[in-house]
Amino acid sequence: MARTLGGALAAFALASGSAQAQGRINIPNLMAERCSICHTDDLGRLPRIQAQRKTPEGWLMTVVRMQRMHKLNLTDDERRALVKHLADTQGLAPMESAAARYALERRLNTVESFKSEQFTQMCARCHSGARVVLQRRTATEWERLVHFHLAQFPTLEYQALGRDRGWLRLALDEIAPALAKDYAYGDDAWQKWKQSARAPVAGQWSLSGHLPGKGDFNATMSVTTKGKDARDHYALTLDGRYADGEKLIGRGAAVIYTGYEWRGKVEINGVEMRQVFAIDGDTLKGRMFVADHDEIGADVAAARLDGGAGRILAVQPSYLKIGEKARLTIVGSGLDGEIAFPAGVKALKIIERAPGRVVVEALAGRRALGTHTVRVGSAEGGELAVFDKLARIEVTPPYAIARVGGNGGDAPKVEARFEALAWANGPQGEYKVGFVPAKWSVSPFNEDAKRDRDLAFAGVIEAGSGVFTPNNAGPNPLRHLMTNNAGNLAVIAETTGGGKKLSARGQLIVTVQRWVDPPIP
Amino acid sequence: MNIKTTLALSVLLAAAAPAARAVQPGELADNTAAPLIAGREYMVAPNHPNQLNVLDLADNKVLKTCALPDAFGPGSVQISPDRRTAYILNNHFGGIYGIELDTCKVTFSARMSLDAEERAIAVFSVALSPDGKEIYTVQNPSKLHVDRYEVQAPRLAVYKTDAGLDARPARTFPVPRQLSLMQAADDGALYALGPDVYKIDPENGKYEVAVPLLNWKRPGYGAPDVLSAWAMQLSTREFSALYTAPKFKDGQQDLASADFVWGVLSIDLKTGKHEIADFAPLTEIYFTGTRSPANRSHIFTVLNGLRKYDIKAQKLLASASLEHAYYQVNLNRDGSRVYLSGTLQDVAVYDAATLEKIANIRLPGGDMSLSTAQIFVR
Repeated sequence: MARTLGGALAAFALASGSAQAQGRINIPNLMAERCSICHTDDLGRLPRIQAQRKTPEGWLMTVVRMQRMHKLNLTDDERRALVKHLADTQGLAPMESAAARYALERRLNTVESFKSEQFTQMCARCHSGARVVLQRRTATEWERLVHFHLAQFPTLEYQALGRDRGWLRLALDEIAPALAKDYAYGDDAWQKWKQSARAPVAGQWSLSGHLPGKGDFNATMSVTTKGKDARDHYALTLDGRYADGEKLIGRGAAVIYTGYEWRGKVEINGVEMRQVFAIDGDTLKGRMFVADHDEIGADVAAARLDGGAGRILAVQPSYLKIGEKARLTIVGSGLDGEIAFPAGVKALKIIERAPGRVVVEALAGRRALGTHTVRVGSAEGGELAVFDKLARIEVTPPYAIARVGGNGGDAPKVEARFEALAWANGPQGEYKVGFVPAKWSVSPFNEDAKRDRDLAFAGVIEAGSGVFTPNNAGPNPLRHLMTNNAGNLAVIAETTGGGKKLSARGQLIVTVQRWVDPPIP
Repeated sequence: MNIKTTLALSVLLAAAAPAARAVQPGELADNTAAPLIAGREYMVAPNHPNQLNVLDLADNKVLKTCALPDAFGPGSVQISPDRRTAYILNNHFGGIYGIELDTCKVTFSARMSLDAEERAIAVFSVALSPDGKEIYTVQNPSKLHVDRYEVQAPRLAVYKTDAGLDARPARTFPVPRQLSLMQAADDGALYALGPDVYKIDPENGKYEVAVPLLNWKRPGYGAPDVLSAWAMQLSTREFSALYTAPKFKDGQQDLASADFVWGVLSIDLKTGKHEIADFAPLTEIYFTGTRSPANRSHIFTVLNGLRKYDIKAQKLLASASLEHAYYQVNLNRDGSRVYLSGTLQDVAVYDAATLEKIANIRLPGGDMSLSTAQIFVR
């Protein structure tokens, strides 16, 4: 069975506290006072700290562990300032973090896959492989990390995939040297990144997103500095709307780590959300999720409205059905030239026009069948699929995990959200249409699930939205062996396309709570 | 009143309330001083929050509950050869405690970490010499440098049972990594389960492989897997553990097409002879399996169901569904009854012949978790 990263909430927000107070903290003094109590060498350096590079979340986990397990005394603002300093001076370059951003973005239904079976078994059997991939260390530090593991978790060499091998020798003789080679401390990418110019952050951003269970949205995000005492700290407001017409209004703050790691905390329509974005020049990309339910989150892309090149981030919705008039929202920046749809698509009426958002009523004819980009002035991009009949749908994610929770326990329920992704056939073969409405249901995944009556215990799916809410935590005396309300369910989406019924099936594992839930799973 | 307060009170009241009375289901024992009776059969079962229950198997009732020092877990118990003291590996794998069963008094304690600069735990490893004078454990230490850890070689630590509280080992010897369950044979040799089964001389620390497991050369089989947290002191004086192993279809040794089997490893502690015997296809997981003292060819296994197999015939003889999972299956001395323990707080009693349930013995307190229950005759 595939294993996903699973999980609930990140323990510490990386964009909170007083920016000014954090700005006033003298980090060299603080490190000399607190870190050097244990970490200093004969020359007054901090050799362990200086031989590692990590993401902001990676440093947060380290510093919090020092507080919890080694009695490091820090105020919340001191911790934030220290994590910021470490991520800024010993962070990862954008290309170094690119391969595992899913873990920072809390995409916990990701099923990881690594080329090395040995790496998977030795490292990724207990935590995500991303946690390793998102670190750079010297050879000595990788070796010390092996010692740390067995000292902290001595039973790991007794567990399955531990007791079948000489775990410690293998870890020291093969794994540590391999990691020192693949994830070396002194990488060119980091040297180059440290010297490269930083992209501006303050100003107006045009933002496009998609929230499963709710739909597309777009907004203007206004970013202002918090003054010169608060370098890299910004205030944000969001003003936009969802595809269903609901307004999207938000306010919050963001901190930029390492020159590109955007960590925001915003209240949107009364719900606290986190932003984990990576800035790339005048665009950014990432995920925005509910702070205490990180399974609920949106893919987000944004482009700078002032100064940046014209860009198209998305066409919402991403499809037009032949012969049916529909409103399309083109989201991007610098959208101030002529609107050019592909041949066969007519713009009937411009309903709204701004540099970041153009709303057009459009109609597609048969010769436009297929997928296209759209153009507004010099900006080109997005994906617009023109279709006549849907060929099939698929359930996304195809494999997800929900977790029982509540019922007086510490861990909240973790829900699962499914969408139906539609495909059509064209002359060039199959092409993606986009997310379409579907009727949702669940059924037992296999004979075991049927026998154990998982359907009756595991939870319920909302027929209209594809949102699955698991049942309460704890042993259930009504179940076989008094087991938890866990279950193995098939998730079924049904819709109609071109007069025929289309359906698709995914898998949902409803399992127990995740008790250990660090920022990087 | 919460459990902790009640426990503390029960300890205080013990001296003033010597009269023995069987504890009713769900009730905390208040007769810690009730002596055990010679010739009678008992079971000990540790559970949360941190206590040791003594069950009287004549009437399947809780006789007493001893409060334990420090913290719970894993609760691996060995009974002394004179059946007067239970030695329990506890305190998050970090200490061994001797509990005098007649009085609930703590007569022995030892921390696995031998100094402030190390952290050491023992993984289910606690055993007693046949004369009851020594305790054996394998400690897995790590050195705590000021800003780093350094994993050290494991050591066999030998303690004198009369060394009292905060005991220090009388001898230590380096041993292989990944050792867990141990039992001492009648001739004094110590058998320790690890990647293979080692035979260790606890006088001088010399060891050899007594039974190759991970490195076995069994024709037609791949390497076995052994997971056991329960060193059961069987009345038959056997040290045993279940294994699973791939049995290949042919000389290609293809794991994908191999049949996986359950088997039992038994070391006769009287003679040192060992036996490896498959008994069933691997169709479900068992945590423990115990051969019947009444018929060595019969083995009882448990996790999500109670099964009874004939080893020689490799045949399922009987099966019982359970109210919840149990980790450990024990049998009484004559092999007539099966006692299931581990997880939650009830011990289930079954008839060994029919697998019909006889009783549930509800323990005071909480989950038994991974603890080891032992049955013995005082």
